[in-house]
Amino acid sequence: MHNRALPYLLTLPSLILAAVVIFWPVVDLIQIATHDVSRFGQLRDFSGLDNFAALVADPDFIKALLRTGVWTAAVVGGALLVSIPVAVILNTDFYGRSLARVIVMLPWAVSLTMTAIVWRWALNGESGMLNSALRGLGLADHNIQWLASAATAFPMQIMIGILVTVPFTTTIFLGGLSSIPDDLYEAAALEGAGPVQQFRRITFPLLKPFVNIAIVLNTIYVFNSFPIIWVMTQGGPANSTDILVTHLYKLAFRIGKLGEASAVSLVMLAILLVFTAIYIRLAMRGERA
Amino acid sequence: MAISKWKTGLLAGLSVLALAAQANAGEVRVTVAEYSAKTGPYFQEVEKAFEAANPGVDVKFEVVPWDVLLQKLTTDITAGTNADLSIIGTRWLIDFVQQGVAEPLDGYITPDFKGRFIDTFLSPSIMDGKTYGLPIAASARAMYYNKELLEKAGVANPPATWAELKDAAAKIKALGGENYGFGLQGKEIETDVYYYYAMWSQGSEILDKDGTSGLDSPGAIEAAKLYKSLIDEGLTQPGVTSYAREDVQNLFKQGKVGMMITAPFLSNQIKEEAPKLKYGVAAIPAGPTGARGTYGVTDSIVMFSNSKNKDEAWKLLDFLFQTDWRAKFTQGEGFLPVNKEEAKMDYYVNNADLAAFTALLPDARFAPIIPGWEEVAQITSDAIQKVYLGEGDPEALLKEAAAKADGILKK
Repeated sequence: MHNRALPYLLTLPSLILAAVVIFWPVVDLIQIATHDVSRFGQLRDFSGLDNFAALVADPDFIKALLRTGVWTAAVVGGALLVSIPVAVILNTDFYGRSLARVIVMLPWAVSLTMTAIVWRWALNGESGMLNSALRGLGLADHNIQWLASAATAFPMQIMIGILVTVPFTTTIFLGGLSSIPDDLYEAAALEGAGPVQQFRRITFPLLKPFVNIAIVLNTIYVFNSFPIIWVMTQGGPANSTDILVTHLYKLAFRIGKLGEASAVSLVMLAILLVFTAIYIRLAMRGERA
Repeated sequence: MAISKWKTGLLAGLSVLALAAQANAGEVRVTVAEYSAKTGPYFQEVEKAFEAANPGVDVKFEVVPWDVLLQKLTTDITAGTNADLSIIGTRWLIDFVQQGVAEPLDGYITPDFKGRFIDTFLSPSIMDGKTYGLPIAASARAMYYNKELLEKAGVANPPATWAELKDAAAKIKALGGENYGFGLQGKEIETDVYYYYAMWSQGSEILDKDGTSGLDSPGAIEAAKLYKSLIDEGLTQPGVTSYAREDVQNLFKQGKVGMMITAPFLSNQIKEEAPKLKYGVAAIPAGPTGARGTYGVTDSIVMFSNSKNKDEAWKLLDFLFQTDWRAKFTQGEGFLPVNKEEAKMDYYVNNADLAAFTALLPDARFAPIIPGWEEVAQITSDAIQKVYLGEGDPEALLKEAAAKADGILKK
């Protein structure tokens, strides 16, 4: 009896800590989201789901919701596609490998906001580095106004999102690759398997759990990622690059609708919870099979 | 032993907290916005001078970056730990007044004190006949023009009307190269304001007389079409929706833009960063009827209703609004004078740039004092960005925006 209670007692402190750090703010959010709130955060009347109804009625919210889906899928998927080959290459032994590893990891060391500011300069229509590089190489004959419309701004933001997600993802995969014993490859090579076959039959299947981890963690980070889009376009022009976080920030701190903003953050929390739960279920079923 | 040590420490900590939480008699806390690197030192000086003149009063200034000021005030007020006085954007004042947070100052204001101010700048802080704030910083907008570019293009005088501006811009475009006639801001803070300049000159206002949005008025639509035609004919810099105010100012400093509209502080920046640039400051172009408007902005210092040391706080306000102290602040930050006596000083009278700004003040419009103003401004910015991008007919887009704004204004 005593023994059975012990594990719970031991986890109790961290559970309490988690409750204070996680549950308390969520309860607070629920309270704000279900009330009429003054600009200074004072709760007025209980308003039920009015704040949520206002969100659904707002076409900008719906568009931001869909765009968040595109943003997350594109950045997470893109980072995955880039990171696997990068990790495989960095895992092979070649001259200057440590240097290459450092270079790949470098973007990680720079703050996201700083990266976004540098890109904002680089994408400037008149004096931006990208335009002068393209023109210097003869690839463009006039300046492209990258951030002037969503058609060019959003793909660029996705590209930068991929760029800053690659180091972390590559690190996960490098860890995964180093756990694959070399003798597997030796045996396969003896049997006459080429590099492509080795990758498909050995590397990828053994890397799968790590891919799953990368997908879940990256989805959570990217879904909530604020600086890239905020610094470069503030979700503009005319809200055409808004994702849920930037939409939320505008609602709360520009317009002062704390109730609706809290509702947005609860919706985001719910989406992430559901996604993670479903994905982990699917991934684990796949592993058992 | 160990436990008793802990206890003593804890008690000591608690007593320190208790001391800090209790406002001392004669203590005045002031939250001020950090406008530049000169703001902090200025208020330190004020603190020393004021405390020397008023023994027994302890002044504490909290200097907060402008970007987080509203967030700080929001949390402080919610928690009841706000200071006695604070600088706020005057456009936020209505929220403070409606929530009963700001104290009317009429009980303290003597006719003599009121007479110190230029009325244009004091009036935005007056609501329902009561004065809730005093203008501590004021600014307006005027048109900067590049003398060299205009000369090269064969334009003798800075354009006085939008028709002349369009003409001058076309001549600058004809020069070829990377020269742009009119710098048009289309991104981030004050995107809507940049559009109002044209709208006001067409005789339209942000709010009609009946309190509904003026965005669907003929003048407003005309103004949008004017800007759109400037963009379509290549008379602005390309990709206007990627240019925030600072980006357009940078183009101007690089000498690539013929004309742009912005605040007095650009003069200070040019002095430091592009001293060779030959530029002038002129009035914002007028419309066909001669109507014109500039944007006036003030920040107010307010007293909180829950302040326990109102008399001492008022003494400090009285001290701050003396001519000498005002002049020091205004000149350091590159603002416009709010005191009548101050405005007569040589520094302002003999400054051609500033004279252009002050000459426009009779035409100055301030952000309308309505709850939900920030949202209406956001709707306007969004609509005008769509116009610039060509995502629809200007008239339809503005009418749609006006309907949206009316929905908020009705509340």
